[in-house]
Amino acid sequence: MAINYLKIKGQFLQLGPVILFYVIAITELSSNFENFYLNFFSFNLHMMIIYFWIIKNSDVLGIGHIFFAGIINDVVISHPLGTSSLSYLVLALCATYIKNATLRPRMVTDWFAFVPAILLSNSVFFIVTIKFSELSISYVELIQNSFFTFLFFPIFYQFFIYYNKLIDNRDL
Amino acid sequence: MSDSRDDFIIAIRSALLQKGAKQKFSIFFLISLSLAIITLDIISFPATIFVRSLINDAIYRTSAYASTPIKMYSYSHEKIRNHLSVYSDNEKLLKELDTYKSKKFNIEYLETENKFLKQRIDIYNSNIEETSVLAKVILDKESPFLKSFIVNKGSKDNIRKGMPVLNDFYLVGKVIEVNYFSSRVLLLNDLNSKIPITLQNDNVQAILSGTGSKNPSLDYLPENYESDVGTTIFTSGKDGLFKAGIPIGKISLDKNNKKSVSLFVDSDQLLIVNIIGNVGENID
Repeated sequence: MAINYLKIKGQFLQLGPVILFYVIAITELSSNFENFYLNFFSFNLHMMIIYFWIIKNSDVLGIGHIFFAGIINDVVISHPLGTSSLSYLVLALCATYIKNATLRPRMVTDWFAFVPAILLSNSVFFIVTIKFSELSISYVELIQNSFFTFLFFPIFYQFFIYYNKLIDNRDL
Repeated sequence: MSDSRDDFIIAIRSALLQKGAKQKFSIFFLISLSLAIITLDIISFPATIFVRSLINDAIYRTSAYASTPIKMYSYSHEKIRNHLSVYSDNEKLLKELDTYKSKKFNIEYLETENKFLKQRIDIYNSNIEETSVLAKVILDKESPFLKSFIVNKGSKDNIRKGMPVLNDFYLVGKVIEVNYFSSRVLLLNDLNSKIPITLQNDNVQAILSGTGSKNPSLDYLPENYESDVGTTIFTSGKDGLFKAGIPIGKISLDKNNKKSVSLFVDSDQLLIVNIIGNVGENID
């Protein structure tokens, strides 16, 4: 009985990041958190989730989920279908490369390696949107968003590290 | 030099093609799939338009249900705030009522005069029958790149692209995407929104351009023209989509003392809107 309870609890914990990822994509909750009074400090939680979980525990957040949540996000915010998926997958590619290339991962190295990853991912998003749709995007806002995503990453990093420990304890 | 380049290529190739115990697909496969979807979406075959419309309807509905707890929170917060400000609101409304009562007679006179003048210049077309469809806002997701919301009426209810959307008597935006059960409305403050307008009293024409922030701005005003703060702006009807004279907002000063337009309708508070169309008119 107790073993079953622990098993269910563990499976639920492992689903946490995926559920959060889908909730942000499908609900009115903005993935850029720009409706929480401080529009200037908008940041992209989707990117932080993808980058962290691909680097630290890629079994928790599958690439298929990233692709599918990107499609949902595109429909909900009316971007050309596949744009968010492509930009998220580019970020996932960067994260996988960084994971493979880093011998001794530390928070600071992961944090600074996040800069080219965000820039590349947002550039793909910007180019696809500008070239293949009639939407206008303020690139200043996009750069602001990228900057604050980078700046706030360590805060979420600590929270996700704690959560990852909870998942690891379950495995033990 | 060439060794480090080889290492980089090997690492990238490994990252692209890597699969794990729980990773069914490689990143390369999914990136290719995304590119294929983007291409199909851009080409817009009738079949892809139909499939996209189905996907939109399904995801909008799911999203509307999934957002219920967030909506409930906003609704309760708004209700409590309204309840606490009843007394001050009542005082303000009584004052406004007095002002409007005094203006009523003037408006009646102007209406009669306007009707008479329209008949004289033969532009008053009594054959055009205006229809209004009430629609419920089902999804209002904040995005830094597109200010829009989803309503629960679509092509099934004769909604067409370009139709103006009103709240009470004030313009909110226009329909930009129509699915079978739902439609997307572009708000006036979106970066992509451009509406021809006219200014109260002066009859000056301009374009109301969304800025992405809460207050849109006025473009293409006559050279050296200085608009007065508090001037009401209306649609001019020059685009042939909107009828003339729909009130939009007032000119105001922002935090930096720059002139912008304060809209009459707060787009965050919309629950029910009117979609206006003319019977027999093909806006597309």
